[in-house]
Amino acid sequence: MWRYRELIRNLTIVDLKNRYQNTFLGFFWSLLSPLLLTGVLYFVFRHLFGQEQYFAINLLVGIMAWRLFAIGTFSSLGAIVSKSGLVTKVYIPRQILVLSNVLANLISSLLEFTVLLPIIFILTGHLPATVLLFPLIHFVYFWFIFGVGLLLSSLYVYFRDLNQIWEVLTNVLFFCSPIIYPLAIVPAYLIPYYLFNPITQFIEIYRDLVITGSLPSLYSIVSVITAGIVLYFAGNFVFNKLQRRFAEEI
Amino acid sequence: MENVIIVNNISKKFYIPHEKKITVFQNIVGLMKRQFDYEEFWALKNIGFEVKRGEAFGIIGRNGSGKSTLLKILAKVLYPDSGSITLSGKIASFLELGVGFQPELTAQENVYIYSSILGLSHKQVDKIYDEIFNFAELKKFENMKLKNFSSGMYMRLAFSTALYAVPDILLTDEVFAVGDESFQKKCQNKINEFKTKGKTIVFVSHNLVMVKQVCQRSLLLNEGQIITMGNTEKVINDYLAMLH
Repeated sequence: MWRYRELIRNLTIVDLKNRYQNTFLGFFWSLLSPLLLTGVLYFVFRHLFGQEQYFAINLLVGIMAWRLFAIGTFSSLGAIVSKSGLVTKVYIPRQILVLSNVLANLISSLLEFTVLLPIIFILTGHLPATVLLFPLIHFVYFWFIFGVGLLLSSLYVYFRDLNQIWEVLTNVLFFCSPIIYPLAIVPAYLIPYYLFNPITQFIEIYRDLVITGSLPSLYSIVSVITAGIVLYFAGNFVFNKLQRRFAEEI
Repeated sequence: MENVIIVNNISKKFYIPHEKKITVFQNIVGLMKRQFDYEEFWALKNIGFEVKRGEAFGIIGRNGSGKSTLLKILAKVLYPDSGSITLSGKIASFLELGVGFQPELTAQENVYIYSSILGLSHKQVDKIYDEIFNFAELKKFENMKLKNFSSGMYMRLAFSTALYAVPDILLTDEVFAVGDESFQKKCQNKINEFKTKGKTIVFVSHNLVMVKQVCQRSLLLNEGQIITMGNTEKVINDYLAMLH
């Protein structure tokens, strides 16, 4: 892969340029979307969960972490099919197409989180030192999403309704993860199932690190790293099996 | 001279299902109705040949004879079902020109992207950048977005980039018919220059005149099998005899 670093960089830049229409303002438009969504959800749900400490800011962190997963997996799902020319007409390692796509999403989300930090400071009056651990968790999250992306993009070549199926699944997952509601309201007997969902773990770790300033539990750290490794290897395995016939199936 | 391309007894089979299932839904329905029928189609059968360094090698044959499949296997886009290929040196395949061109970006940006797809680094492109635009006669338009290019300009830019990015082995399909008479003349000269520099060329074409000019040795394919191989003139005569 290292040999192809310039290609990876170029394709990532192309992705970002296309997404932001080559304008600097494009980024602000994309930033507006999570802020607006948070605003709407805040006004709808503030009577339900408004007493929770830092409800608005928890919501915003949850939405931003969720967006990286939702947009990252959904756009990498089409990474192979939408760049069919680079699959059927020329040889490059096909993982690159997925990798550059997830990298572009990673960069967008890093920009979003950079804007988030001053907002947290303004709303809570402090910024915990654990914020410094943010890059580590973001890196694990990135590998996790890359793994899911490899899996989805290779299956999508063979099953063209996967995008609709995945859209439904991500919607279900959105409501099964403590994004709009705090984990505290979930009944105790359901908690183990909740914690089985890696997205829940990731979101809770993000909240620990950037808002409350507490260190996440060892259990949650081990489970997100395991999820990242398992998904990456599973994705890689399936991708390598399926990519042999990509050029015939596209 | 050493062999830079060794093709060892490769075969390629395509599965052609009677009913193509492209969704999860269709697959489930197919499972329930127990429709698994498909036909096997051997696009290539037991193909073996070698190409030496600095040689230009032609592949000719009728439509559907397996030429493009063979070229795609050489380009590593398709995998053979059996047999193996060995390629030494950097390969560029021009199965299509301008792969990965982005209409929303400028010509300059696209040259860098396309070159990196063909395996060049940023620094290497810096060196040949001016030559690419001079060859394409598009120096004036380097900052124009590609979507505003005419199709001729687009092809010239793609072709020039590809020509200057050339590695050790060049695999090409029918991509030489680009531009006007004088541009084609320039391309012809460039190809001859490659040959004198010791680059290897694999050339698939229906243009027999061009094959005769470029290639010393050729291969005639029919229905996925080698009919004759050897001196280009003889192979072309066999091909013409087969057609009539």
